[in-house]
Amino acid sequence: MATLKIENLTKTFHAHSKGGLPTRAIQDISFEMSGQVFVSLVGPSGCGKSTLLNIVSGVDTPSTGTVTVTQDGKKARLGYVFQDPRLLPWRTVMQNMLYVSDLHEEEGRANATKYLEMVGLEHAHEMYPGQLSGGMQQRVGIARAFSVSPDLLLMDEPFSHLDAITARSLREELQVMWNATKKTVLFVTHDVLEAVQLSNRIITLAHGGTVFDDTTVELPFPRKASDPDFAAHQAEILGRFEVMEAERAAAAG
Amino acid sequence: MSVATRLNRPPFKRSPVGRALTSQWGARLTSYVVFIIGWQLLAMLVERVPGPWETLDFIWREVSGGDLGGVRRGQFLEHFGATVPRFAIGLTTSFVVGTVVGIAIGSVSFVRALLSDVLLVFLALPAIIWAFLTVMWYGLGWEAPVYTVILSATPFVAVNVAQGVRAVSPELHRMSDAFGVPRNRRLRSLMLPAVTGYLFTGLRFAVIIGWNAVLLAEWFGATDGVGWRARLWYDAARYRGFIGWAIIFIVFIFLLDGLVLSPIQKRAFRWRKSASDEVDLEHGLADMEAIAKTPFL
Amino acid sequence: MAEAATLEGTSRRLAGARLRRASGVVLGWGAFVGLWAFTSSVILTEFTLPGPLKVWDAIWVIVTAGSWADDFLISISKTFMGFAIAVLIGTPIGYLMGRAGYWKAFFHDGVVGAGSVPGIVYAMMALVIFGIGYLGPVLAVGLISMPFIALNVAEGLEGVDTDLLKMSKAFGRSERQSLRHILIPSILPFAFAGVRLSFAIAWKVEALTEVFGSSNGVGFQIRFAFQGFSIPRVLAWTLMFIALLLLIERALAVLERWLFRWRTWEQEE
Ligand SMILES: Nc1ncnc2c1ncn2[C@@H]1O[C@H](COP(=O)(O)OP(=O)(O)O)[C@@H](O)[C@H]1O
Ligand SMILES: [Mg+2]
Repeated sequence: MATLKIENLTKTFHAHSKGGLPTRAIQDISFEMSGQVFVSLVGPSGCGKSTLLNIVSGVDTPSTGTVTVTQDGKKARLGYVFQDPRLLPWRTVMQNMLYVSDLHEEEGRANATKYLEMVGLEHAHEMYPGQLSGGMQQRVGIARAFSVSPDLLLMDEPFSHLDAITARSLREELQVMWNATKKTVLFVTHDVLEAVQLSNRIITLAHGGTVFDDTTVELPFPRKASDPDFAAHQAEILGRFEVMEAERAAAAG
Repeated sequence: MSVATRLNRPPFKRSPVGRALTSQWGARLTSYVVFIIGWQLLAMLVERVPGPWETLDFIWREVSGGDLGGVRRGQFLEHFGATVPRFAIGLTTSFVVGTVVGIAIGSVSFVRALLSDVLLVFLALPAIIWAFLTVMWYGLGWEAPVYTVILSATPFVAVNVAQGVRAVSPELHRMSDAFGVPRNRRLRSLMLPAVTGYLFTGLRFAVIIGWNAVLLAEWFGATDGVGWRARLWYDAARYRGFIGWAIIFIVFIFLLDGLVLSPIQKRAFRWRKSASDEVDLEHGLADMEAIAKTPFL
Repeated sequence: MAEAATLEGTSRRLAGARLRRASGVVLGWGAFVGLWAFTSSVILTEFTLPGPLKVWDAIWVIVTAGSWADDFLISISKTFMGFAIAVLIGTPIGYLMGRAGYWKAFFHDGVVGAGSVPGIVYAMMALVIFGIGYLGPVLAVGLISMPFIALNVAEGLEGVDTDLLKMSKAFGRSERQSLRHILIPSILPFAFAGVRLSFAIAWKVEALTEVFGSSNGVGFQIRFAFQGFSIPRVLAWTLMFIALLLLIERALAVLERWLFRWRTWEQEE
């Protein structure tokens, strides 16, 4: 299990055009997570969630501050599930799985098969992404991320492009896979219900990229939205969002 | 990754002169300077190739008059006056005929089956074949150039218009069905905007193909006109004249495209995307693809 | 049951459509040849526009004479030589244009301009520079094809999905792996389209240059026939050349469809 440590992270994007203002995407964020936790990062659109994940994964670099991901003191392996499937359209499902694998051909295949089976796509090895539905493509994306045996798994709103029913069944599958593997997961979403359903801990970001709130959710799995405790948790977090919006409105004058 | 990241700017690019030189306009200007220098070098290397100043001087004299090796000069406008009407008549005819045929091909599947293969042969038939044939049919005169333009440009207009008709998405037709949009409003608001773009692309095709065709036909079968004039210098082994006229041909087509066709097409395509003052690669590319299918022979 | 019935109905409808299409194609060719024969014998004369039979005879004479293959080979070898030069020069230019705004602006006017110059101008330039010989047509082909290849490579590079590159980085893939699995597969369809498009014009300019000045090749034969006032032979050489090129074109199209089969699935979705 990995340890993610973020200290005084700030990210500013340069202005695209001359005379434009630079965008402050993240402002002085610090938090730490480690072990078998499922942490959700919740916040309104544009508050810097994706930027944070990109920095954690090394795709982007911090402006100031430090991000370290370690696994028993060593550099940790990462898996990433994106908002869109991000599969190579010119490669088959199996080739897409092998693309991120560092194992030998045979082993890699066996490993990929195992994870494709977990998401119910054992029959789709030789298909191209274009032949799959959006939900199936996202399943491949999830299988791909799990298949590299990541120490830390990053997920960026993985279900937001899907219809509600597909999203629900994928959420349940994710829950099962997490219970089986107990990865350290950092999960980004704008959906409070999804966060309460899946995570042990919920970090809320505010507009402008600051941490607004950080709570733990101690409900037993599997969780049901009909459960009163669940509803109470959800209501509490939504209530804090209202406070946040009110503060923002007040600040805006 | 290397594509996604830009190189860091060296100090040179931060100075005002450096910034001017590395701007879009600086880049364009530099390219023209490099072109002129390259031409000059080529002229020094290959004896037959005239240099830029020599050529410019020739063009000027062709306009202003004088005498070169017994050939009277200064009939620049007369020759254009002979060529442009041939070009215009041929172009108009092929535009009208091509549009009618194109609509038929695009909207009636039987006509499409009937004509598509034959059209392919006509598209592949090089303009010079038409020039040869029309010269044999009509002899030297105005007919060969006009008919060469018509015969070589019409298939391209037809193909483009047909594509435009076919490009109206069936979804939009179904949507119009669902809302019971009346026929004439559908024609005006759905079909026409969809086809106009293709119509203009077709026109631009026709212009380039037609220009090439009229030049070829005049080269082989006329007693005046700009194509004939170019041949005169070629036969006299005056390469200055030959290249000079080549430059004039290019400038003519650029002016026609830039001053007339491009603005009209931009207007027709207003709804597509907002204007951008960057060098518009996609626009150039669409034209290139269009032009790529032209029979230049 | 019901499903089987509709399936059968659909396939019957499809078969009907295919039959109609096929009959249209046959009718189209019939009408074309008929109109040609009619024009040549009734409207014009056999001398000014030889009919299909006469042209067929001319083709037969050319084929049986035997040396026709040499002319085709030499024309095609010139086309491919010019083409190779265009790829060698056009690819790096396209690469620069796709990667940096400066080079895009630098090459834009020249490349787009070079693509809209009438073929006759290239033929003339090639003649002035190289005179009559092998290199003239090669240069003309190179000049006219280069812009298409450059622009297509540039477009392919600009269209590379940066999100895929980010994915690749997030999963710790090396630059070489990204190049092989992302950059090259994204550029390839564009490069191929460029090759196919420019091939369609390259041969025409090649033949045109031969018409203007050459001592061998198909264009030379056409010119030779024209000077001998033999229209049947002009048409025979032209039609043979067109047939060969349409064949190459088709082969390229089939190859393209096979190479990029993942694309059709993407569109069907
Ligand atoms: N590459 C970029 N260049 C400039 N601004 C960016 C870039 N990426 C993100 N931003 C800006 O940073 C802010 C946070 O974006 P993001 O992290 O994508 O938000 P979200 O929380 O919705 O994932 C937004 O205002 C966005 O416009
Ligand atoms: Mg986001």
